Amino acid sequence: MSTQANPRQDNAELKVLETEVLIIGGGLTGAGIMRDLSLRGIRCLLIDKHDLCAGASGGNHGLLHSGARYVANDLRAAVECRQESDILKQLAPQCIENTGALFVGVEDDDPGFGAQFPARCASAGIACEELSPAEARTMEPHLTEKIHTALLLPDATVDPFRLALENVAQAQLSSSSAYRPHTEVLSFRISHGTIDAAICRDNRTGDLLDIRAHQVVNAGGAWAMNIARIAGCSDVNLLYSKGTLLISHDRLTDRVIHRLRPPGDGDILVPGGTVSVLGTTSIRVDELDSIVPTVEEVNTNIREGSAMVPALVHARYIRAFSRVRPLLQPGAEASDREVTRGYALLDHRSQLTNFCTITGGKLTTYRLMAERASDLVAERLSNTVGCKTRELPMQDGEACRWTEPGASPKYWFQANNPDDSILCECEMVPQSAIDEIIKCAPSGGEEMTLEGIALRSRVGKGPCQGSFCGMRIASYLYDRGYYRDKTGLDHMRKFFNERFKGLRPIIWGRQMAQMELSEALHCGLLGLDQANNMDESAE
Amino acid sequence: MSDTPIKKLNFKELASQLLPEGASFDSCLTCGLCSSGCPASGLENMDPRKFIRMAMLGMDEELSKTPWVWMCTQCKRCQHVCPMDIDIAQLVFAARSNWPKELKPSGIVRSCELTRSTSSTSAMGLPPEDFVFVVQDVLEEVRELQPQFKDMVAPMDKKGAFFFVNQNSREPMSEPDEMVPLWKIFNLVGADWTYSSKGWAAENFCMFSGDEEAWHQVIQQRVDAVNELGCRVWLNTECGHSYYTMWNAINRFGMEADFELANLVTYYARWIREGKLPVNADWNTAGLKFTVQDPCQIVRKAYGDEIAEDMRFVTKSLVGEENFIDMQPNRSANYCCGGGGGFLQAGMTDQRRIYGRRKFDQIAATGARYVLTPCHNCHSQMEDIGDHYGGGYHVVHFWTLICLSLGILGENERAYLGPELAALGL
Amino acid sequence: MKQNTRHIDTDLTIIGSGLAGVAASSFALRRNIRTAQAGNTGALAYTTGYFDLLGSLTGGSGASISDPWEGIRRLRESEPLHPLARIAEDDIRASFEEFITFLAECGITYGKPGDRNLDALTPGGTLKKTLSVPATMQAGVDAFARKAQCIIIDFKGLKGFSSRQIVANLKTDWPQLRHERISFPEIDQAEIYPEVLARALEVPANRAKLAEVVKGLATDAEAIGMPAVFGIHAPDRVMADLQDRIGRPIFEIPTMPPSVPGIRLRELFEQVFPQKGLTLIPQQKVVSTDLQANTIQLDLKDNYGPIHISSRAVILATGRFISGGLEAHMERITEPLFGLPVTQPASRDLWYRHQYMDNLGHDVHRAGIEVDEQFRPLDRDGKVVHHGLFGAGILLAHQDWIRGRCGAGIAVATAYKAVQAALSVLQPAAA
Ligand SMILES: Cc1cc2nc3c(=O)[nH]c(=O)nc-3n(C[C@H](O)[C@H](O)[C@H](O)COP(=O)(O)OP(=O)(O)OC[C@H]3O[C@@H](n4cnc5c(N)ncnc54)[C@H](O)[C@@H]3O)c2cc1C
Ligand code: SF4
Ligand code: SF4
Repeated sequence: MSTQANPRQDNAELKVLETEVLIIGGGLTGAGIMRDLSLRGIRCLLIDKHDLCAGASGGNHGLLHSGARYVANDLRAAVECRQESDILKQLAPQCIENTGALFVGVEDDDPGFGAQFPARCASAGIACEELSPAEARTMEPHLTEKIHTALLLPDATVDPFRLALENVAQAQLSSSSAYRPHTEVLSFRISHGTIDAAICRDNRTGDLLDIRAHQVVNAGGAWAMNIARIAGCSDVNLLYSKGTLLISHDRLTDRVIHRLRPPGDGDILVPGGTVSVLGTTSIRVDELDSIVPTVEEVNTNIREGSAMVPALVHARYIRAFSRVRPLLQPGAEASDREVTRGYALLDHRSQLTNFCTITGGKLTTYRLMAERASDLVAERLSNTVGCKTRELPMQDGEACRWTEPGASPKYWFQANNPDDSILCECEMVPQSAIDEIIKCAPSGGEEMTLEGIALRSRVGKGPCQGSFCGMRIASYLYDRGYYRDKTGLDHMRKFFNERFKGLRPIIWGRQMAQMELSEALHCGLLGLDQANNMDESAE
Repeated sequence: MSDTPIKKLNFKELASQLLPEGASFDSCLTCGLCSSGCPASGLENMDPRKFIRMAMLGMDEELSKTPWVWMCTQCKRCQHVCPMDIDIAQLVFAARSNWPKELKPSGIVRSCELTRSTSSTSAMGLPPEDFVFVVQDVLEEVRELQPQFKDMVAPMDKKGAFFFVNQNSREPMSEPDEMVPLWKIFNLVGADWTYSSKGWAAENFCMFSGDEEAWHQVIQQRVDAVNELGCRVWLNTECGHSYYTMWNAINRFGMEADFELANLVTYYARWIREGKLPVNADWNTAGLKFTVQDPCQIVRKAYGDEIAEDMRFVTKSLVGEENFIDMQPNRSANYCCGGGGGFLQAGMTDQRRIYGRRKFDQIAATGARYVLTPCHNCHSQMEDIGDHYGGGYHVVHFWTLICLSLGILGENERAYLGPELAALGL
Repeated sequence: MKQNTRHIDTDLTIIGSGLAGVAASSFALRRNIRTAQAGNTGALAYTTGYFDLLGSLTGGSGASISDPWEGIRRLRESEPLHPLARIAEDDIRASFEEFITFLAECGITYGKPGDRNLDALTPGGTLKKTLSVPATMQAGVDAFARKAQCIIIDFKGLKGFSSRQIVANLKTDWPQLRHERISFPEIDQAEIYPEVLARALEVPANRAKLAEVVKGLATDAEAIGMPAVFGIHAPDRVMADLQDRIGRPIFEIPTMPPSVPGIRLRELFEQVFPQKGLTLIPQQKVVSTDLQANTIQLDLKDNYGPIHISSRAVILATGRFISGGLEAHMERITEPLFGLPVTQPASRDLWYRHQYMDNLGHDVHRAGIEVDEQFRPLDRDGKVVHHGLFGAGILLAHQDWIRGRCGAGIAVATAYKAVQAALSVLQPAAA
């Protein structure tokens, strides 16, 4: 495997890149800052050690909070959510489905909690309508019969992948800002309280980069503490809370379903296009890597979730995933869910002049967080243009449309082009989508992995979880000349390994048959498990 | 597009209602075996797996309106090869039902309407009195011109007859002489049979049009007609869907039927075994090769391989073991010819012929000069694709060949034979 | 209308029409046992057509092995409960020989199993250790062994099969390999399935057209490879004819599912076995069973209605999860038809390791039913469940058919043993 990346740190020559602002972290916050600054005419470079939404941005419920979930213990966060969700619904409708939400109290959930809820919502300015249990069940037939309270709220769902892609696409259009995946910060070169350069590594080639910027923004999410420490700043204190969610093969409800009780495990079920996402659990962890969903977390989610929607017990699941939420270190003793989900912007003024960190918060408030961080950066650069993201609609970016569940079959069907064959059969992603994604990829299609394609489309998200389409797309990429040696097999292997992490805890029932078939193909037929000793055995 | 009056169906919901637990769309492995073996795959980009996936992806709007549902012949081959036993044809039927009449292919709708226009239940609208007349007329002519059959009968409305015999309208309507071989066979074996002036016709395109109510009514008329005459066996002559629509409807609608349903092929085989039909292959001195087409409607979708075996037994008895070449694949795994499901009546000629291309290849691969089939739709479709793709084979009814073998096939009863047999044994 | 249950009275019933069921049926027919068979052939259609005996040793490095017989000898030491370790080498050889002879009589020729594994080509451009390949694929194995000047052709629109991919992955080992892409004559659909091409090639005229195109491309090649599409029911004949017309050796490479070699086996079974005397209820599953003193009663249903089978002996060859022989629930794995105890890991968390490609393989595949020396399933106390009930195929515990590359080996060899054992129940004297 000659192309396997090995850091060539020792003898590598530094490649120098220059930009006005370096943004570290391709989550929604980083992508949002990139767009915000670019709209102010500031040139940015966004980097991520993996790719867009590799952290919490790509591992959440996709719930656009109305704020209702926070009315009980964090009124400020609730109000922010209401305001921001209203803005996003208006400016980025292509990323949002206005589903509405039902908050339901079931069985022995404390009715007192539900009774106070409408008033609390009112004080946060959130519209809340009380329903009878029967009305709720007519709206959502899968709900349990054991409901005693039901409230209708304006929560919505959002496609975070598309949102991130759109932010980046628009930033690239409006200034010469750029995005660079697979680029990891290793250290900073600092002189006189100023960061001169970030020393980074291209994780695919192993090449080292010397990135020079006037301002550096740490939008590292859960990794923000680590990044700040590299820069010598010890004032970012985070706790890590691991959350695990699962995706069902079917969309079980039209609306978001919340349990009407203080937040707990498995109490939110969010529709996401053609599937439903159930979550989450919450477990304190103290490291960020090797985070994978476990059997136990899956079981907990299903057990708890089925109190609201009994069908969750028999549903077919196609995937589970885990991410870490960064929680700002609280002063007092508190459970993880009570620790504020608010965000923090640190200017590190006492140590560095051109470095700031933004972390915490929520997907729903990403724009606001980006605005605040950008205000600081702009001020430091003496840029006076001001924030535009409050008014400017999100444009439909090129090649951003493929992440929406159920969208690619629609495009394919409408185009009715017999030559455009479907490569991912589960999600019906056609060849033309792959072409477009490659064309618009960060590196202009020079290097595209199966994982990169999957990130930018629905590839691998259906019941086969990539086991068939991974093979078909790899063949297609060979045909197109992107792969010329064993790299394609290596990418396949990595892609299947990655997908497996999310499958492992949910393999039973029908997914077991699917998995057996996949392994028979990948290992039994293609021998990918023996990829490393393949060469010897051929002798 | 939003102004079209086709209602949006919820296919996922329908699938969970119509398909049994464990074989619902949820169980699909997206392996593609169904699509690989569906003769319609590729027609306007459709295939059965896409149908399932689109349903799962919520493309109800598109599926509700797509003309795909008229190109799937509901042959159920996809289900046959599916490891999860998923039945897609059911959903296609539901989608067809959902189309407003005005938008459905008019040919199918008209056939259904004609079926209901008279108590004949004839898809060609032939009224009872005309049927009675044609039968009488032809019978008299045969008695006159073929002296050995001067005593032949074709009973009408005979109460208590053992067999209630149905008849595809094509014969009385446009080729009445084709009824004669059938009568001769009944005569020879001494069958106690009757036609009925009511409910005699075989075809039923109401099922294919997705009009459940009309389908039910037509079958009700037929069931009543049999009950009224008190026959023991409703004998389905050489027409595939006729059997399926009757058999399926009786179960589906829970009808009272005090008789058995049987297919003529079963009786051909029985009569040959019993020596009542002393056929042999001596006539086939030229070693003409024959193959058979298994109609989906009576084989895969109903009786299964048992009747397919009977067809082969009859064929081999008629043409000689060595002159029979099976089409591949066959029996329950057989490919639909493309004439079923109302495709022949739907007016989509190009698509139907593309569908039929695979059948054409299968016939060509046998190298047979003749194709035998006990189904009028198969018959018409195979003739058409034969002409269209330059096949040079002939499609014949069993009754023709039986009478040929017995040396009793009249001069006017040879419409479907090739020139080499046009005069044989006359 | 009366709908009667059809009754079948028979000596042996085979439940399951996967490879184990098909092999069992072939052995029973050769022994003139009155046999009925039910079961969906689903998973059978997914196979490559390669017959693996033992391609790697599981539970260790997972490296592939060249001598499967030696491998089985080692299994007897390391995994004595492995079904292959429990069958004498002579019996395994005899089972393959007999099965392959039977298939040849039915229209598909396989290479004679030898002492060593072959290196067979895969659509990914990798190699796979296997014991025997269909005659239509043999020239590919030989060409690789000699690294002969070769060309691989693929067809426009046939997804998941790229000759460029195969060449790109094999070129270091096989520099004389080239690739070409052509349009399959007269098929103008964008998405084409191998099955459709294979059926088209059953017609001589279509073969002539394809040969014409291929001939022009391969003037200097010693052999020509193509995706597996050389006909369905008479592949040997289709290949011979095509080869004649092209004028040089040709061979097939299996495609990803839905692939032709599996469909061939399915159709051969469905079409030819009944002619050899099998009572087949195609594509239907047995839904309930009843063990009686001298018979086993089985119920199932086809499109026409209910069927009841009364059988003196039964071979259970219902496969694993794809086929429904085993069911995986959130808590445990069960055998749904007879409720046999399933040996399995203690909890779901132990079914799979954390790395998908872990060379140790996943323990879930080792779950299965226990059998005695006669291949009779055992109950929880280790006692024989019924003297006339036998188990065969990958349903059996203590093997990892996927990583061991031993699916066909287990299916064929255990079917052989099960039929022999059934015969001794049915005809005590003869056996
Ligand atoms: C993708 C893939 C590729 C493979 N490639 C190869 C290869 O290249 N070489 C190789 O040697 N092996 C290969 N195999 C493995 C090989 O196919 C299997 O090892 C073998 O087929 C197992 O046979 P079996 O009969 O035990 O099980 P199965 O094939 O699973 O058969 C079990 C049968 O039982 C039926 N059944 C289940 N429940 C019931 C019931 N209640 N009533 C009636 N019937 C029932 C099922 O429908 C099924 O037909 C491959 C397998 C797969 C999936
Ligand atoms: S054959 Fe069955 S399991 Fe496979 S794709 Fe078709 S419907 Fe799904
Ligand atoms: S019923 Fe027949 S035509 Fe319709 S999708 Fe299935 S195989 Fe194709």
